[in-house]
Amino acid sequence: MYIATVDMSSCGGCHNALLAIGEPLIALLSRHTLSFSSPLMDRRSISPSDVVIACGAIGTREELEVAGEIARTSRKVIAVGSCAVYGGVCGSGSARPETDFEELDLPHLLNRALPLDSTMDIELYIPGCPPPPNLIFEALKSVLEGYTAPHFDATVCSECPRRVTDNHVESWDPHPSYGAGNETCHLNAGHLCLGPVTRGGCHAACTSRGAVCAGCRGPSEMVLSSQLHSIFSDMVKYMSLTTRTREDRVAGQLQAMLRSIYLFTRGDPVTWARVGERLPKD
Amino acid sequence: MTESVDLGGHKVRIFPVTRIQGRADIEVLFTPDQKVIEARFRGLEFRGFEDMLSGVPVMRAPSVVSRVCGSCGPFHQLASCIAIENATGCEVPDAALWFRELLTWLWLAFDHLLRATYMVLPDFALPMSDVGVRNVAGIYMVEQETIGRLTAVQSAFADSLALLTGLPIHPSVVVPGGVSYIPDWSSLAKVGDLMEGCEHDLREVLRLVEMLTRRNTQMIDTLTPLNGFYMSSAMHEHPALMGDCMIVTPFKGGEPRFIGQDELYESMEENPVAWSYVKPVTVGDFTPLLVGPLARVNVGFDTDTPWAELEATRTHEHWGHPLDRDLLFFSAMALEVIWAWEKARLLLDQRPRVKEPCTDIDFKEAEGVAIVESPRGSLVHHLQIGSDGEVAGYRIVSPLQFNYDLLNQHLSGFAQRSISGVEIGEVAVQTLQLAVRSFGPCVSCGTH
Repeated sequence: MYIATVDMSSCGGCHNALLAIGEPLIALLSRHTLSFSSPLMDRRSISPSDVVIACGAIGTREELEVAGEIARTSRKVIAVGSCAVYGGVCGSGSARPETDFEELDLPHLLNRALPLDSTMDIELYIPGCPPPPNLIFEALKSVLEGYTAPHFDATVCSECPRRVTDNHVESWDPHPSYGAGNETCHLNAGHLCLGPVTRGGCHAACTSRGAVCAGCRGPSEMVLSSQLHSIFSDMVKYMSLTTRTREDRVAGQLQAMLRSIYLFTRGDPVTWARVGERLPKD
Repeated sequence: MTESVDLGGHKVRIFPVTRIQGRADIEVLFTPDQKVIEARFRGLEFRGFEDMLSGVPVMRAPSVVSRVCGSCGPFHQLASCIAIENATGCEVPDAALWFRELLTWLWLAFDHLLRATYMVLPDFALPMSDVGVRNVAGIYMVEQETIGRLTAVQSAFADSLALLTGLPIHPSVVVPGGVSYIPDWSSLAKVGDLMEGCEHDLREVLRLVEMLTRRNTQMIDTLTPLNGFYMSSAMHEHPALMGDCMIVTPFKGGEPRFIGQDELYESMEENPVAWSYVKPVTVGDFTPLLVGPLARVNVGFDTDTPWAELEATRTHEHWGHPLDRDLLFFSAMALEVIWAWEKARLLLDQRPRVKEPCTDIDFKEAEGVAIVESPRGSLVHHLQIGSDGEVAGYRIVSPLQFNYDLLNQHLSGFAQRSISGVEIGEVAVQTLQLAVRSFGPCVSCGTH
């Protein structure tokens, strides 16, 4: 089969996560044919491919053309990383400094970085910043070999070793201190942790090492299938329930933390459509 | 392969530049009689992190800024944390400093190995092969053992990072005030075993790089020597990833200059150009400037890493001091992997007994600067904290910005020597791309 990889507006971390697989990946690639992959090979034109691993959001007009070309010439596209799936960290399109980009002899920047499915059909979504390497590899193998890739319905909380305690919390610190070194749930300790509303599969890599979950794997299945489609509302409900604090009180506090809550998903058109009025304006 | 742009036929674009981090092209500009005026490497992506960070709670800034780059992300996170700590006067616990340093060495080696295996090796192992096989999979088909050794060492570092941080890329354990946790003894023992277990493969990898570099002696001898200055962060006159001053030395020889990090920041000047999202940065009279592995190897390793020091001495005996040919970057990367491996092992033997991971930070209106060495070179973060503990201003200066003038000077020289007429052949295209790759450009960092 013909395999390709493409990196659009991104940090390159998802691609590096793929490469971190090492010899098993290289052995797999050597059994198939690399059709194009600018980080790996010198072919510069986009050619027809059976499977394309696409990372990054669409941030420029040039990338919009590249995405169109991939959509026309490829059979199956795997969107890897939260930029590709939701628009990612740069999906808000908030940052346009004083430079007049119109005057530059450079690819024109779009107003907002777009997730890949705004221009093409996606076979598999692997969100994460970056997704764990084994999930990317499994996805690639499943598409090549025609089996169903593992699907993670559970949340980060379900993989987290920390315990929810019967602890009444009055407030959550927008400047959370880290390294508490105990086994208590971060939310119970007054730190904003997005584990309850975030898709699992990462083995709670951050929370099990003292840090809070920043929500890089995007909304959990539960949030995505809820009517509101709102990370914010589900967080409010969960925090209210587990800390015995009134919902309006929790909501009032979380309002100030919206940028953190929607750090990876602000570019997602569905999120904009459903909860756009709540999203932070930069 | 190349795309002509309709400007009187005098500009040729090579797009994309392959096997680098990020999206970029090379533009070659010609006179009306088809002589090369200059070639320029252009960063084509822009995400606007500096503005995006404005208003973000300071404690959240490091995890946002780590997303600038998938290779150097942990170093951005670290620099951001140190800038916050410098601004607030926070004292980081010894155990946290120790863990941070261990992680930085593992990250450095991991990034070098990833880049060497996938991006650099094809140029040295299969330089004249067809474009379809000049890649890591093509090498694997004829030289499985070599790739096996490289990836075995890479996996040892990746597995160590996975053990300690959960993820090798964008981990969240480095936080303002320290680290989020201190690993237990059993995890550290496993990392020690992984390091010990890859020693033999590492020796073989070093010999491979030496052999591949020497195979290109004829080409290296004809290269134009790098001019200007090389710079590294340093401590006790040797390169350090988290040093306390900067060393700047002229390539043509002479006494090194030691300058404070604040002084360096004050003397930096950004000079935007209309043709690239990368903004070149100059530092006082030190132009052009080179940062990165070659610069650090030229500054010279300390005696606490005898293997790296010995191999660096052998390299200098063969190629001279300073290493001033860009193709020697491959050797410099290999030497730094040895350096990182030895440093990591030293630190694993010095595990702290007290396990305090983090101290609280008292926010106040302040500003702070931090300079760390990332795999690609010196990385500067400067932040201003507002009255409510939010980010009031943020500035990032990345290695590519420091290297940009020298890279483009060098690229133009290559183009003028190897291109005649607007029809640029594949060999010339590869030569230009190799000249770019020699500087290890990270476009994601460079444009941020």
